[in-house]
Amino acid sequence: MEEEKLNTFIRLLQRVRKQPSQTFDLGLIVKELGSQIEVEEVFEEIKKIVDIERIVYDETIFDGDVIDKIVDIFRKNRWVFLEIKKDISSPLLNQLKHLANHNSFQLIDYQGKDIFDMKMPENSRLIVFTERDFIENKISYPHFYRLFGPTLSLK
Amino acid sequence: MPNPETIRFKSQEELKEEEIERRIKEKGPEGEILGGIVFEEEKVVDPETEEERTKRYIYIGNPYEERPIITKLETGASQEEIKAIKREIIPMRESFEILETMARTYKHRQSLLIEGPTAIGKTYLADKFTELLYGRGVKPLDFYCSGQTDVSELMAKWVPKVETEEEKKKWNEFLELAETQVKLSQITQEIEQTERLSQEQKLALIHTKLQELAKSAGLSETTKWQFQYGAVPKAMGLIKNTDGSFSFDEQKGVGFILHIEEVGLAEPQVINALLKLRGKRGQLAEEIQLWENGGRKVKAGPKFWVFFSTNPPEEYLARNEVDPALARGVVFKRMGELSQESLLLAAEYYFTYRLGEKPKEKPEGCILDIYNHPEIGREIAKVISAFHNDLNKELKKGEKGRMQRIPLTLDDMARVADALIDTQIRNKETGRLDLTEALKNLIRFYYLDRLADQDLKETMEANLNELLEGDTGKIKFEEKTLTRKEIFDILVERASITEEEKKRLEQEEIERKRRELEQAKHDTEDAIMLALQNPNTPEEIKKRLREIKLE
Repeated sequence: MEEEKLNTFIRLLQRVRKQPSQTFDLGLIVKELGSQIEVEEVFEEIKKIVDIERIVYDETIFDGDVIDKIVDIFRKNRWVFLEIKKDISSPLLNQLKHLANHNSFQLIDYQGKDIFDMKMPENSRLIVFTERDFIENKISYPHFYRLFGPTLSLK
Repeated sequence: MPNPETIRFKSQEELKEEEIERRIKEKGPEGEILGGIVFEEEKVVDPETEEERTKRYIYIGNPYEERPIITKLETGASQEEIKAIKREIIPMRESFEILETMARTYKHRQSLLIEGPTAIGKTYLADKFTELLYGRGVKPLDFYCSGQTDVSELMAKWVPKVETEEEKKKWNEFLELAETQVKLSQITQEIEQTERLSQEQKLALIHTKLQELAKSAGLSETTKWQFQYGAVPKAMGLIKNTDGSFSFDEQKGVGFILHIEEVGLAEPQVINALLKLRGKRGQLAEEIQLWENGGRKVKAGPKFWVFFSTNPPEEYLARNEVDPALARGVVFKRMGELSQESLLLAAEYYFTYRLGEKPKEKPEGCILDIYNHPEIGREIAKVISAFHNDLNKELKKGEKGRMQRIPLTLDDMARVADALIDTQIRNKETGRLDLTEALKNLIRFYYLDRLADQDLKETMEANLNELLEGDTGKIKFEEKTLTRKEIFDILVERASITEEEKKRLEQEEIERKRRELEQAKHDTEDAIMLALQNPNTPEEIKKRLREIKLE
């Protein structure tokens, strides 16, 4: 794995605030077809640089639980490493889009509030990890790439 | 002398209109747009209490128009906030066209649907419009459509109240089944068709049916259910509290702005639900009836407004044409691509760092404070806008059968601009910023690594190299034809030298010119001497040459 590229990727996520909204980006790590790199290896490398927790989004987990976990991780001022292994359903997609656009979650009737608004802490970020083949063939939302700022392509 | 019959005195109202129009069309010394949005305060007397109070208004119009349509709206934002919000809007023609339409439709309680390409700024301007009305940092209620959007998320649903994690898991599994969703919507349809029952009876019937459904799935039939409103009724009855939070009142709420994004991705049943929002005379509905709640009505507050946005259908495989019935019920505006002029303007705003605060101190990783050198920013803007446009054209062609497309947005440029402040590369020979390499590096992260098509990626990399360093990318710069890299190097060199170095170089230049003059003087003296010594030189010429005095 190219350490320098990973460092730049993390650094861009940490530092870059888009003008004029001043929002941070969500990051995307794409494992290219034929790449031998394992997700655990990538996660461990990132863990050496930032305080990060991993969530696996697959058939065994519900959107509501993923959202709860992200909220919880953000409350601890940590980064989120979200490994996507199934097509993203509407509730999570809504929140990822809101996070990308406004760096906040906007949830209706959540935790006792009519409109729950939670800003992503200054020291937290969200990185999505998935495979190129999966994005191209399984993700039904056609603007998936638009959710992210820097993209790290792993060959 | 004018004909007295044609002289007309303008009313105060007309003079005020002219003044507002002048301010809407105001331009700066370099022709840059300064108007578009005008803030005004007015003193008004409350007819009941007779107390005088100040009301704040904004006027919005398209400054590119010769006779702009100007809309006046009441605002909760202060003058400083409006000034700051204005500063964050790149004054492109398309931005004002959108803002002006938003203002006009908002005022007349008409919902608006804008169909336009990704980079046009629909989402960003919906956010800015909300801030213009409510103050900085206030965002609209956002709802994003996708092929998986469920009507219940938009309108309303019943959710079981469960205590344990195990119960929660069971219920989630049950509720996520497509079959369950069909059965739940059947309950709503049955209630809608039950005419003779009172609302209370309908509610009781809903509960019975929900319990039966739970029982059929082997879940506890004694589970309690709670009713949850979706995004539409919530926005109709929202109240923005003074502390910035929101509360909901289905009868007395004043309403808020709802932005329904990517409506072109929504399935027909979602569109059918949205048709409930159509009211009389092209306006938004004053109330909607929710059968999920036994037919109870939710009132739309006076500040409720819906803005739909979507991308053109030809851009994506999964995108549908905007439903004709929905299109008829809204003000439908179709926008084209951003013009080249606007794209370059946006790039200039980003790379001359005019939209936000510049760093007070040079950040770590910054070799040259390019944010203080607009002359460099303007040259970068030319390169980036050309590359952006080139790639966008390639991406528009799309790839056969591919679901994912990568439409470029202005955010891509904004990211490169911001990253360029402190993600710089040093030229090992000169020790100065290597702007060409730094740009290539960032373009790779923000534009190229997203591409799945490796051939396209290689082509675009080659195109970028040609644009920066090749002959075809050469342009005129200070009377010379140079590559962009050469121009960058010159500008970086100029910007990198310190004041002391600058003075020293100026002194050296003066000294060099003095020496050149001295040399020229000696050369001339030698030439005269040679001519005088030459026996073939005519006496008349020699006489004239002796008269020459060199200083």
